Amino acid sequence: MLEIKNIHKRFGNTEVLKGVDLNVEKGDVVVILGPSGSGKTTLLRSINFLERADQGSMVFGDKKYSFQKASKKEILEVRKKTAFVFQNYNLFQNKTALENVTEGLVIGRNIPKKKAYEKAVEILTKVGLSDRYDFYPSQLSGGQQQRVGIARAIAVEPEVILFDEPTSALDPELIGEVLQVMKQLAKEGTTMIVVTHEITFAQEVASKVIFMDEGRIIECGTADQVIKHPKEERTKQFLRRITNDMEYAI
Amino acid sequence: MKRPFDFWYIFEAILDLLPYLVSTFMMLILSILGGTILGSILAWTKIRRRPLATGFADFYIYIIRACPPIVLLFLVFYGLPEILLRGFGIDTNHFSQLFFVVITFSLLFSATMAEVIRSAVAAIDKGQREAALSIGLSDMQAFIRIILPQATIIALPNFANSLIVLLKEGALAYTIGFIDVMGKGILMIGNQYGAHALEIYIALGLLYWSITIFLEQVFQKMEMKFAPDKVYRVEKRSEKERRKHEF
Ligand SMILES: Nc1ncnc2c1ncn2[C@@H]1O[C@H](COP(=O)(O)OP(=O)(O)OP(=O)(O)O)[C@@H](O)[C@H]1O
Ligand SMILES: [Mg+2]
Repeated sequence: MLEIKNIHKRFGNTEVLKGVDLNVEKGDVVVILGPSGSGKTTLLRSINFLERADQGSMVFGDKKYSFQKASKKEILEVRKKTAFVFQNYNLFQNKTALENVTEGLVIGRNIPKKKAYEKAVEILTKVGLSDRYDFYPSQLSGGQQQRVGIARAIAVEPEVILFDEPTSALDPELIGEVLQVMKQLAKEGTTMIVVTHEITFAQEVASKVIFMDEGRIIECGTADQVIKHPKEERTKQFLRRITNDMEYAI
Repeated sequence: MKRPFDFWYIFEAILDLLPYLVSTFMMLILSILGGTILGSILAWTKIRRRPLATGFADFYIYIIRACPPIVLLFLVFYGLPEILLRGFGIDTNHFSQLFFVVITFSLLFSATMAEVIRSAVAAIDKGQREAALSIGLSDMQAFIRIILPQATIIALPNFANSLIVLLKEGALAYTIGFIDVMGKGILMIGNQYGAHALEIYIALGLLYWSITIFLEQVFQKMEMKFAPDKVYRVEKRSEKERRKHEF
C-alpha cells in the first residue's frame, strides 16, 4: 500500500537519511526504533512532506510521488491520505478538544458542520474524552491532549497514521492511557507507523519492527526477530540500553 | 497681551476643542488601517525569509524608525506632491492635509506594526501550523484559522502601546496645517495673540490624557476577555509543571 524507496535527506552538510526503503501493507503496525538522531522523526516528516526530502520516491495506493519534485497538489493529496500524531501534541490552542477534531473534517475535507460534530463526538468518546469536548488544550492533562491529538488524526480517516514518539513527553502514569488507545486502533486494523521507545507496545502490536541508526535501516523483521533475537550488534546495544533505562526508572 | 490665568477658561477651551476630536480620530483610524496593512505585508515578507525581500523590508523599517516623525511629515508634505506630479502627472494642490498626515502616520505605524505582527506570529509554536497541514489544511487556511487568531491576542498589548504612541505623535500634524484638536488649540492661541495659552495647553493635555486612559482601559478589558483560557493559562500551567519537576 505504501512503498518508500531510497529516501535521502540532508540538513546542510549532514546526511540524516541515507537511502531508506520501507514497505507498509494495509493493516500493518510498523514500529521504528533507534537512538536519538538516527533520523526517525525526519523519516516520518518526509513522508508527510513536512520536510522536503532530497531524493527518493514513494508509491502510495496506486500513485507514485517523488519526494523531491511533488507538486503542491500532490502534497495535499498525500496529506489527505495520512495523519500525524506529534510528540508534543501540537493541538490548536485556540480551539476546544471538539473543534480540534472537527477542523480537519470541516475545513480539510468539506464535511458539513453537523456531520463533523457528530463524528467528532463519537471519536472523542472512543478515546475516552466524552466529558472534555469543550475544554481547551491548556485545560487538559498531557495524556488527554495526546488522546485529542489521536482523535484529530483518526477523524480524517487517513490510510496511514504516523506517530512520532506519542508518549515520550508524558508523565509515566499517563503513558498507559495513550498506548491503550493505540492498541485499540491496531486491533481495528488501522495502518500505523509508530516511532517509539515502548518495547512492550512493540512486542504486543507490531507486525513489523525496524531498527534505524545513522540514517539507515539496520535491521527489519517481526518483533520476535528484531527485539528478542537481534542479529546486529548495534541493535543489541541499543536494546540493552533502553531496557536498562527502564529498569533504572523502576 | 498677557492676561491673568483664568481657571474657568480651561473648560470653555475644552468645549471649543471637542468637535475637532473627530479629525483626530479620523486621522488615527485611517493611519492605523494603512499602517496595519503595510505592516502586515512587511511582517509577511520577513516571516518568509526570502533574502532580498527581507533585506528590503529591514531597510525600509530602519529608515522609517530612524526618521523623526516631524521630519517624515515634512518629507511627505513637500516630497510626495513632487513625486506624484513628476512621476504620475497627478496634481496634489487640491488634496487635503488629511491625505499627507495619513500617509505619514501610516508609514510610521507600519514600521512598528511590522515588528509587532512578526513577533506575535513567531510566538506561536510552528507545530500548530504543521498539525494543520497534516490534516489537510492549506497554508492559507492554517494561517487564518489557527495562527492569526492566536497571534492577534498576543499582539494586543504591543498594539495598544503603539497606538498610544501614534496618538501622541499625531499631535504634530498641525505643523502642516492639519486642524485636529491640537491644530484648533494652536489656532485659538494665535487668535488671542497668546492670551490664555496656558489654559489651552492644559485643556489639550487633559484631552490627550483622557483619550489615553480610555484606550488603555478598552485594551485591558480586551486582553482580560481573550487571555484567560487561551494564552494566560498555558503559561500558568507550564510554570506549575516546571515547579513539579524541580521537586
Ligand atoms: N530542521 C533541522 N535542521 C537541521 N538539522 C536537523 C533538523 N531536523 C533534524 N536535524 C538533525 O537531523 C538528525 C536526525 O534528527 P531526527 O529528529 O530525525 O532524529 P530522531 O531519530 O527522531 O531522534 P530523537 O529520538 O531524538 O527524536 C539530527 O542529528 C538532527 O540534529
Ligand atoms: Mg524524533
